[in-house]
Amino acid sequence: MKKEKRDNICSSKAVWIMCCMALALYSMAAGCGAKEDASDSIVCYVGHGFWDGSLDPVKGGFAYGYDFVNNSLVRVNAQSEYEGDLAESWEISEDALTYTYRLKQGIHFQDGSDFTAEDVVFTYETVMANQGQNEKVDLSKVEQVEALDDYTVKFTLKEHFSPFLDTTAQLGIVPAGGYDSTSFDQKPVGTGPWKVVQYDMEQQLIVEANEDYFEGAPKVKRVTFVDMDNEAAFSNASSGQLDVVMVQPSYSKETVKGMHMEKLETIDVRNISLPCRKPEKIVNDAGEELSVGNAVTSDLAVRKALSLGISRQEVIDHAFNGVGRPAEGWTDNLIWGNTKVYGDARTEEARQILEEAGWKDNDGDGIREKDGVACAFEVYTPSDEPDRYLLAAAAAENVRELGISIEIKQVSWDEIAVKSYTQGAVWGFGQYSPMVLDNQFQSGHFTVQTYSNPSGYQNEKADSLIAEAIAANSQEAAVAAWKEIQTTYAQDYPYLYLVNIEHCYFISDRLDISKDTQIPHPHGHGIPIICNMKDWEIIN
Amino acid sequence: MSDRSFQKAQKRAAAEIFWNRRRRTLFVLGAAVLYLTVTLAAGWFMSPECYDIDYSAKFTAPCPAHLFGTDYMGRDMFFRSVKGLSNSIGVGILASAVSSVIALILGTAAALQGGALDRFINWCVDLCMGIPHLILLILISFMAGKGGRGVLIAVALTHWPELTRLVRAEVLQIRSARYVQASYRMGKTRREVAKEHILPQALPVYLIGVVLLFPHAIMHEAAITFLGFGFPAEVPAIGVILSESMNHITTGKWWMAVFPGLMLLTAVMLLDAAGENLKRLLNPNSGNEA
Repeated sequence: MKKEKRDNICSSKAVWIMCCMALALYSMAAGCGAKEDASDSIVCYVGHGFWDGSLDPVKGGFAYGYDFVNNSLVRVNAQSEYEGDLAESWEISEDALTYTYRLKQGIHFQDGSDFTAEDVVFTYETVMANQGQNEKVDLSKVEQVEALDDYTVKFTLKEHFSPFLDTTAQLGIVPAGGYDSTSFDQKPVGTGPWKVVQYDMEQQLIVEANEDYFEGAPKVKRVTFVDMDNEAAFSNASSGQLDVVMVQPSYSKETVKGMHMEKLETIDVRNISLPCRKPEKIVNDAGEELSVGNAVTSDLAVRKALSLGISRQEVIDHAFNGVGRPAEGWTDNLIWGNTKVYGDARTEEARQILEEAGWKDNDGDGIREKDGVACAFEVYTPSDEPDRYLLAAAAAENVRELGISIEIKQVSWDEIAVKSYTQGAVWGFGQYSPMVLDNQFQSGHFTVQTYSNPSGYQNEKADSLIAEAIAANSQEAAVAAWKEIQTTYAQDYPYLYLVNIEHCYFISDRLDISKDTQIPHPHGHGIPIICNMKDWEIIN
Repeated sequence: MSDRSFQKAQKRAAAEIFWNRRRRTLFVLGAAVLYLTVTLAAGWFMSPECYDIDYSAKFTAPCPAHLFGTDYMGRDMFFRSVKGLSNSIGVGILASAVSSVIALILGTAAALQGGALDRFINWCVDLCMGIPHLILLILISFMAGKGGRGVLIAVALTHWPELTRLVRAEVLQIRSARYVQASYRMGKTRREVAKEHILPQALPVYLIGVVLLFPHAIMHEAAITFLGFGFPAEVPAIGVILSESMNHITTGKWWMAVFPGLMLLTAVMLLDAAGENLKRLLNPNSGNEA
């Protein structure tokens, strides 16, 4: 007995020493990495899990709509408009089925080869032939890609698809001659401002400036992205080893020596889906019987009272330390966003709506009832995103004043897909493509496409407007239709919009991230900050 | 030897005599039972309002109003920890009850029946012990739908193998003892022998096994909840509290991890000490050990 114990102590001591040694080695290595030629190189943490797949654009690598190693035909600018990237200009035919892009001339790939229409055709045809490998860029609507001459590319679509411009913003162009499916996973070659030096999946990515970049060489010469978890990144930043570190809003009140906090604008909106249908059983295409609908949220009065009565600012203060802006719909920094604002925290009016609809608190428990049904429902949040839980909990706390009870549950995404048929769920959307409206409001998607139209919204007018917007043959006509869709569903309050989040970063005082050329960040907290990394500058 | 040091030695000897193993065992056992029942009862009868959200008191360091401080949502960590530990103890009690019954039945059956059944039960024990315990817990919890039910089933179904082995060995030993053989010869039935000779003799080993199993069950519940396969985050549970506190430990919110951790540690260590002492006291074979 005694002997055994001593052995245990010995072995645990050994473990301790090994741990300490590993830690010392690691910090030495990390220290070296950060200090190496620190005058024009930086180390960044832009969120966990972004560097875990192929970097090859053909396989969906870096399909974010801004430049990195590869350029796309078009890109999004700081006003959320599309502008030419590798394309000089583009034309859409009268029947909206052909898109013709005129390309910029004199651009070279990082391997020295010239960029021509042939590379564009090669890239698109490779993706179309291997669509199964690329879930980010969907080219199923494309019939044919052809090079009219060295600097003109013509796309023929199978059917009308007005958001096609966004598709061409997401696919980076690879060189036809130098493309290699295996090596591009680790070291893609493009026309972009950054060259990959080293990529260790789920660990780090090192890039250096492309001195021949056609818009001018980046000023920062070398950037190392590290992958770790949020807490480890924050500790590393506190000890001065990082120049950029993404943090959650709950960290926004902290201070880090030598760094300052930046809160950057996004197009990312958080909402809670409110099932619009009455409880019923439906049979889906696969023949399974599903329970859908919710007796409480199917009452328009409840949904309206929630949207009008909730105090978004208070929710944001409580859940996110005041980081973020109240949102009652899509944001005004989207070209198709229709921001009809009806004002925050109209509590009294909301109470009146509920009273008039027959929701009264008769038993004095603070929760209203109607015909024996309590004004209560559940809201599901993904267990891997604590921020959504905080938001939902703060919202639930807030609407209790209206006499509505919301119970918050944390479950996996798979469970949310099913639970959202009958209960609320917290969603986050932020993309330039207006197809998100199709995703959220097209009645046909309910229970057919996972996570689509979780509210079960049904409105024939909205459906036909969505079809009209997709078929539009000009950006203006499409935008007008997309805006009208938002007016159409506004009076039905199928979602409780809460907040337009802001992305928080601690930035080293020696670094200027050129806030003027930052685009409004799309969904995915962390990585969008590098959208304009080529404009960053080290100041002394 | 000087007078003073002699007195000291005498005092120490007196204390040693006073704190003999029986008293020490009683004391530790009493402390453990008191700690567990008070926590369990306090958690059971606690109104959820005690640990309600209060955004005006975010991240309060420990103070008289909030003994263990508060978390990001201003929830009182003392009440949450008590409630959480109470949940864990609940799971621990149920799990060790189920596991020990399984172990008693299987262990006795294996030893008394022998043959194919014995081999089969041993094979099951080896099978379960061959898989890393935590992985087995996660698998079962996941299959049973996670949440409170999942964790309960997982913890209850995975703690029997060691105890089964113990019970089997003990029963085997007793069965081959001469007085048991003599009973058989005197015409006692199997059931009578089992009831009068085997069970009372095997009971101490079994009881100690149960007590020692209990802290394991609590720790395992907290562990898989910490890893996200147990209680959901909205339920106050020690595992949930500890995993939340990890998000804030780098910003210096030490109280969120330290106090709940200490509470869990105290429970586990008290039980472990009680079990170890009981083992020495009740197991006649260990009577000759120091």
